[in-house]
Amino acid sequence: MELCDLPAYELMRLLRQRKISATEILASCLARIETIDGRPGSLEPGEINEEDQQTVHAFITLTDDRARAQAMAVDKKLAAGEDPGRLAGVPFTVKDIFCVQGTRTTAASRILANFVAPYTATPVARMEAEGALMVGKVNLDEFTYGSSNESSAFQPCPRNPWNPQRVPGGSSGGSVASVAAGEAVLSLGTDTAGSIRQPAAFCGVVGLKPTYGRVSRYGLIAFGSSLDCPGPIARNVTDAAMMLQVIAGPDAHDSTAANVPVEDYLAQLEAGVKGLRIGLSPDYFKITYPDERGEYVQQAVPQEFEAAVRHAADLLAKMGAEIIEDVPMPNTRYGIPAYFVISRVEAASNLHRYDGVKYGYRTMEPVRDLNEMYRKTRAEGFGPQPKLRILMGMYVSAAQYSEQYYQRALRVRTLIRRDFDQAFDPNGKYRLHALLTPTTPTTAFPLGAVYGDSVLMQYADQLTVPANHAGVPGISVPGGIATDGLPIGIQFLAADYQEALLLRIARAYEQATEAESWRQLKPMVLQR
Amino acid sequence: MSEFIDRSTFDHLVHLAALELSPEQAEYLLRELNNQLKAIRELEAIPLDADLPVTLHGVPYTSSISPTLRSDDWQPFDRPQDILAQAPQAEDGYLIVPDIPHTTLE
Amino acid sequence: MTEYEAVIGLETHIQLNTTTKIFCSCKADSWFDPPNSNICPVCSGLPGVLPVLNRAVVEKAVLLAAAMHAEIQTESCFDRKNYFYPDLPKGYQISQYDKPLARGGYLDLPLSDGSCRRVRIHKLHVEEDAGKTKNERGRRLIDFNRCGVPLVEMVTAPDLRSADEAAQYLIRLRQLLRWLGVSEADMEKAHLRCDANVSIRPKGADYLNPKTEIKNVNSIDAVRDAIAKEIERQIREVEAGRRIEAWTLEWDEDSGKLRKMRSKETEADYRYFREPDLLTLHIDDAWKNGILKNLPELPLERRQRFMEQYGLPEYDADLLTGERSLSEYFESAVKAYGGDPKRVSNWMMNDVMRMLNESSRTAAQLQLTPEHLAEILKLLDSGTINTSTAKGLLEKVDASGKAPATIVAEEGLAKVSDDSAIRRVCEEVLTENPKEVQSYKGGKVTLIGWFVGQVMRKMGGKADPSLARQILEELLR
Repeated sequence: MELCDLPAYELMRLLRQRKISATEILASCLARIETIDGRPGSLEPGEINEEDQQTVHAFITLTDDRARAQAMAVDKKLAAGEDPGRLAGVPFTVKDIFCVQGTRTTAASRILANFVAPYTATPVARMEAEGALMVGKVNLDEFTYGSSNESSAFQPCPRNPWNPQRVPGGSSGGSVASVAAGEAVLSLGTDTAGSIRQPAAFCGVVGLKPTYGRVSRYGLIAFGSSLDCPGPIARNVTDAAMMLQVIAGPDAHDSTAANVPVEDYLAQLEAGVKGLRIGLSPDYFKITYPDERGEYVQQAVPQEFEAAVRHAADLLAKMGAEIIEDVPMPNTRYGIPAYFVISRVEAASNLHRYDGVKYGYRTMEPVRDLNEMYRKTRAEGFGPQPKLRILMGMYVSAAQYSEQYYQRALRVRTLIRRDFDQAFDPNGKYRLHALLTPTTPTTAFPLGAVYGDSVLMQYADQLTVPANHAGVPGISVPGGIATDGLPIGIQFLAADYQEALLLRIARAYEQATEAESWRQLKPMVLQR
Repeated sequence: MSEFIDRSTFDHLVHLAALELSPEQAEYLLRELNNQLKAIRELEAIPLDADLPVTLHGVPYTSSISPTLRSDDWQPFDRPQDILAQAPQAEDGYLIVPDIPHTTLE
Repeated sequence: MTEYEAVIGLETHIQLNTTTKIFCSCKADSWFDPPNSNICPVCSGLPGVLPVLNRAVVEKAVLLAAAMHAEIQTESCFDRKNYFYPDLPKGYQISQYDKPLARGGYLDLPLSDGSCRRVRIHKLHVEEDAGKTKNERGRRLIDFNRCGVPLVEMVTAPDLRSADEAAQYLIRLRQLLRWLGVSEADMEKAHLRCDANVSIRPKGADYLNPKTEIKNVNSIDAVRDAIAKEIERQIREVEAGRRIEAWTLEWDEDSGKLRKMRSKETEADYRYFREPDLLTLHIDDAWKNGILKNLPELPLERRQRFMEQYGLPEYDADLLTGERSLSEYFESAVKAYGGDPKRVSNWMMNDVMRMLNESSRTAAQLQLTPEHLAEILKLLDSGTINTSTAKGLLEKVDASGKAPATIVAEEGLAKVSDDSAIRRVCEEVLTENPKEVQSYKGGKVTLIGWFVGQVMRKMGGKADPSLARQILEELLR
């Protein structure tokens, strides 16, 4: 076991006992990156060769110098007997959708490929202030628009450490891949429809989408501004709790970062689940999607996914939780259609600013006038996924369609929120503390299997997107290994600002399964 | 329910979006748009009460948890030159862009 | 021949004089700054930034809304107005669309015939300003310093009936803005901007004809000229049997001509939607009442009161309420003086306002306080000083800040009413001017004024002129 494979809490314990140094921890991560990451994503990748197909490619930009300086600062503080901070010496990666001053911040798009941010996103600044070591900026779907990372303008795109022929999920694919493969101990991701939880499930790690507004969005390049949530990705629940502790809380730069005190997430982490009411919903054991003819098809999630969830419920029940069956969440199926509208309207507007005037890419072609400069810059700078979102967003928000689509989608969002309100209402019929569901309807799919079909790709988020509409927090934790050898994720959802409760339940489950055989399995890239 | 995005509507959208597309890309995007629109149509079938309000953020922002407004104190950003340095073209402190098509007629 | 009347509505943008911009902590005013020096990640629209609303913007807008008699909304919202323009770094402007800060409202314009024109506004909302661009050799130069400066937008109903009334509206609006202290309202610096919608119709008709929109008018004179020109043009067109088309016109101040702008290539669809980065703005009663505690008596109310309470003519009342500190100065001086308010008014209009104009100051900036003015008037009334000394004293007090009585004592400015001193000088004057004495005695009695003047000159203006005259007449008898 290398240092880079240890949990953050363990590394910090050893560090504070002066048994290891931050510099040694970092060296371990950098060595791992060197061994298994392969070449970083680039705009001019040339051919994807055999070797590329066996490596992880989590990174776009390695910031090893920055991390070394941070590690030295931590070691110096320890030597001087000073407090090095609440995440001291813990290497982390940052999804390349966050601005970090002095680093290239690309959003995995050609249009921002040369953008060097002049300021730092709040959650990154908070982690660095607590002594965490920023190892690099990791790959994602272009502007986070996808669930596989294949849409990144920086290729080779990340691959699943459990099987490099599979996608890592997305859009925080580089984040989860880097954590799963021990290239970093923590990663900062974002979740707009499931972009933390879905890839966490695909790569067998813990991913937490906090309540909307719990973590500041300042410095996060916006996709769906009313849905985006920065959140932690870790290999265990305790590490996720430690990271959330640092990044959560109000921020003078974000008007939507709620003025709610941050609970002590570690204090109750081991308190167990006795007396908690945990619900199961039939609406989360199936997915509904349009087939090629546009007819809606309902399909049960694979049996082993339901089995993993029921197994978790059994374990929690044994520990004293009360399992509530048949909680109706009838509007779950509308999550994706409503998301198709709301996120596109916000995305199209958020992408307006990429016009070749202020930063990033500008066309090299000769142009007659400003409008032509705009068109060529955006045509060359954006890949197909941003273009698709821009066009759809413009269509459904046009004055003549806005009522029919956008306003209607916002009202459907109310219905989705009401499902959660009813389930979590402390005076209601169900009085749930949490809802337990599968995170995804499938394990990680092969590269190329879904990419290009924007509708099918979106339906990968069907079980995660309702929490984004409702704003409630959700966590995906590893829930077993499927027969295809790939991880299964299970998801807990709770009421607004109940992250402490979520983490506590997830931790109880984690503890209960510690001895299970699948816990011993390692990602394929670490077996060589 | 039969509504779909035709070629001329699509071209208009492309124009409004300040984009231009190769024929292959246009074909792909138009097809995907219409596929997405099919999915979006599901919304139309949902019965909604006339008084059902919209939800803008899932989380309700009560006055007690809404951040206070900013006080009117000047805090200059100390590196405006770093912002300007990102511009594809700048001179003498100005960002430079090609001319805007003329809008005035005598 | 048909008689026409103009139907005019004004769209005004008012720059609030907050310290900082509307959504970031850059300073609002960068008039003297080099380009792109007063910017930050937020106002220059970098990826990932978020707006945070400035409380003072809301407070100033609420004050203005109340002064416009608009209904301040408990809940208002911000929206994105999406369009591409290089001075708009985010590609959308954060504005308010269907839930503005205030609805309704009006401004009354006293007209020269003594009547009053009520000009209504539909709504009042706040928004961010864009940057500036300028053309140079076929390129466009962009400066973001102005991005994010807070604006209030108010659009009037088509209630104005002439170019003069439109100018009057802006004059009254400017007066109100400065009165409230919410804007410097300097049109040359674009603190107050105006687009005018103009149409004509036969006098007395109640329908609206197609209108034209005049943009880029940045002084009150320009607004008056441009609208007058456009009314003439429309009358000419209609008389010639042509239709008025809904053109957008641009005022070229240098040539004094209107130019037609090309009609927009595509219909404007800004695809407004709620700004997800900002929360609904709640203005509860406690906050609103706290703001409105600072709402002063408004100019027209004070004007009316000056006429009623102090018996001032309308002309005086209007002038003295032209600016808030001037009106306050007047009232303080009247109070300190205790005598005839009209006398204070005369001195202010003739002398104090001249001093203000010459030095481009407001009344609040004078060293000559209202109490000083009252003291000078009292010295004059008591015969201690004469009128010319009083006038000179105004300048001296203002220059030094010393009390009038102090200056009078220090410089010996008190009137000489000592009979013997004046008598001595009178005798000197008569001795030195035998020819004039001759003429006087020969019947040219009007020369008495000249003799008095000579005495006054010799005595540095300090002599009591009526006493001098009396002694001179006696000596010449």
